[in-house]
Amino acid sequence: MTNLWQERLRRHQLDQFKYLRLIFNDNFVLAFIVLIGALGFWYSNLLGTIHHQLIIGKPIVILLLFLATQVGGIATLLEEPDSTFLLVKEKEFYKYFKAAKNYSVFIPIVTLALVNFLLSAFASRAAGMKIIDIVLIAIGLIVFKLGSLNVNLMALYGQDHFGSLNMHLVSNILLVISLIISTYFLSAIMVIVGVIYYLFLNMRVKPLETSGQLQWKYAIETENQRMFRIKRFYNLFTDVPGVNSKIKRRKWLDGLFNFIKPKGSNTYLYLFARGFVRNNEYIGLFLRLTIIQAIMLCLIDNFYISLIVEMLFIYLVGFQLKPYFKEVMQNLMQRLYPVSSKDKIASFTKLSTIILSIQWIVSALAIIYKFGLSMNGLIIIVAGALVLVFVNYFYMPRQLKKYLN
Amino acid sequence: MTLEVKELTGGYGQVSVLKKETFNVESGQVVGLIGLNGAGKSTTIKHIIGLLTPRGGQILIDGISLHDDVEKYRKKIAYVPEMPILYPELTLREHIDLTIMAYGLDHDKTWVNATELLKTFRLDNKLDWFPQNFSKGMKQKVMIVCAFMTDASLFIIDEPFTGLDPLAVNDLLNIVEAKKKAGCSVLMSTHILATVQNHADKFVLINHGQVRADGTLDQLKAKFNMQQDSNLDDIYIKMSHEDL
Repeated sequence: MTNLWQERLRRHQLDQFKYLRLIFNDNFVLAFIVLIGALGFWYSNLLGTIHHQLIIGKPIVILLLFLATQVGGIATLLEEPDSTFLLVKEKEFYKYFKAAKNYSVFIPIVTLALVNFLLSAFASRAAGMKIIDIVLIAIGLIVFKLGSLNVNLMALYGQDHFGSLNMHLVSNILLVISLIISTYFLSAIMVIVGVIYYLFLNMRVKPLETSGQLQWKYAIETENQRMFRIKRFYNLFTDVPGVNSKIKRRKWLDGLFNFIKPKGSNTYLYLFARGFVRNNEYIGLFLRLTIIQAIMLCLIDNFYISLIVEMLFIYLVGFQLKPYFKEVMQNLMQRLYPVSSKDKIASFTKLSTIILSIQWIVSALAIIYKFGLSMNGLIIIVAGALVLVFVNYFYMPRQLKKYLN
Repeated sequence: MTLEVKELTGGYGQVSVLKKETFNVESGQVVGLIGLNGAGKSTTIKHIIGLLTPRGGQILIDGISLHDDVEKYRKKIAYVPEMPILYPELTLREHIDLTIMAYGLDHDKTWVNATELLKTFRLDNKLDWFPQNFSKGMKQKVMIVCAFMTDASLFIIDEPFTGLDPLAVNDLLNIVEAKKKAGCSVLMSTHILATVQNHADKFVLINHGQVRADGTLDQLKAKFNMQQDSNLDDIYIKMSHEDL
C-alpha cells in the first residue's frame, strides 16, 4: 500500500511539475510578479501610515491567522476506479492514508510560517505584539494544524464527530478561542492548546486502523474537488485538460437571453451565453477578476500601477474565456451542425465583447472614483478600451481558429 | 435519398481501418450495419457523417459529397451516437431549440414533432431539466428525439438499442418504420441481431474494415451457403469463423 502511495505521489508530482513549467513559461507571469510587487508596495505604504496601535489590529491578526490555518488538507490522491478495483484492500488503506498525511504537512507548515512572517510587521506595529509572542503563536498554530489533519483523516472514515458535534466546527471554535486568549493575554496558550489537541487527535485516530470503515464516495469526491481546485488554479495560466466544473441552472437569469433572437446565425450565441452564465467556472472567473480589479483600482493611487491593472485584467478575462470555446468545440454533435466556422467564431467574439464591456464599465467607475474626471483617469479608461478592442477584434478570432476541429 | 459509399478507405491517423468499402442505402430502406467489435462499423459511420475524412474513395448523399457543399450535406443527416453527447449547460428544452436553430428548422412545426416524440419516450415532463444528469437510457432518448424531430432524409444510428428499455426499443422501431414509410433512409449499426433481422431490409456485413457481404437475408444465406431456416445470428457466426 505504501508502494501504491509512492507511485501515485511520483505521478502526481510529475503532473504538478509539468503544469508549473507551463505556468512559468507563460508571458504574463511577469505581469503577475509586477502585481505582487505592487501589493508589496501597497503593504509597506500601509505600514508607513500606522504610527500607533490600532483597536482593530488584533482582531485583524486573529482573522488572518484563523484563515491561514484553514489552508491545506490531506491530499489522498484517490482515484475514481479505486472504489471498484481496490475495494478488497480497504483495511490496508489506513497505511496509505498515513503516508498521505505525512506528505500533506508541507503546505500548511509553509503557509503558516509565511503568513506569520509577513504578518509580523503589521502585528508588531498595529497590534503591538512582541516578536516572541508571534513566534510562539506560529509554533502553536503549526502544531494545531498538524493535529487537525487527523480530523481530515477521520472524515474519510466518517468518524469526524464527537457524539453529534461536528469535529471541524469544534476545532475551529477551539482555535478562535485560543487565538483570542493568546493574542490578548498569554501567547504560550496557543502552544499548550496546540500540543494537547495534537496528542488527543493522534490518539483518537489510532482505532481506525482496525475498526474503520472507509467512506469511499466521500473520500473520492473530496479528493476530486481538491484536484479540481488545483487544476482550476493552473487553468488560470494554461489549458488544463479535464477541468469540468459545476453547472447551476440560474433560472432567474434566463431573462438575459431574451436579447438573443432565435435565428440560425445565433445558434452558437444561444449556446455560449447560457454556458457562460451557468458554468460556475467561467462566470466565477469573470466575477472574481472584475471584483478584484475594481477593488485594486479603488485602492491604488499610482497612475502606472492602475494603468497596468486596468489593461492586464481585461486581457486576462478575455484570455481565460478561450478554453470555454475549446470545450464546446470538443462536443461532437455540434461539429455536425450545418453552421459555418465563421459563425461560431463570430458568436463567441460577440459574447466576449459583451462580457469585457461590462468589466470595462465597472473598472471605469472605479477609476473615476479614484482619479476623478482627470486626464490620468481618462488615459487609463481609454487604454482599457484599447485592450478590449485588441482582444475581441485581433487576438480572439486568431486564437479561436486553432480550436476548430 | 440515396447514400453511396464507394471504395471508402480511411481511419484514424496513419492507420487505415477501412479498406475499399462499397455499399448503398436506397430511398425508403432500413439498412443494418453488422460486424464484430472493432470491425469498423463506427469508423464507417464517422466517415459518413463527416467527422473523419476519407483517405480514398467517395461518400455521396443524393450525389453530393461533404466537400461539394458542407451545409447542404449536413442538413440531410441526423445522427444518434453510440454514447449520448449532450451540452452540460443546456436544459432539454434548450437542446431542442438549439437543434432547431442549427438546422434552420421551422420552430412551431418542429416542436409539434418533438412534443410527440417526447411524449412517446415519457420525457415531456422533464423539459426544464439538464439531460446531462439523466440516466444512460434517458440520455439516449434525448438524442433520439433531437435526431428524429429534424427533417433529415438519412438517419444514422449507432448501437441504438443498448441502454434502452424494451418499451423504448419498440417505440424506436416504430419511429424508424414511420420514417421509412415517409421515404427516408435509416442506417443502423447494432449487435442485437434478432431485432435488426426483423426490421431491416438489407444488411451490410463488415469484417476487418471490408464489406464481406451485403444484401437481403435471403441473398446473404445464398452467399454463405446457409440452410433456408438459418437466421442472421448463424450467418454472423459463420462469418466470424472464416478468420480462424
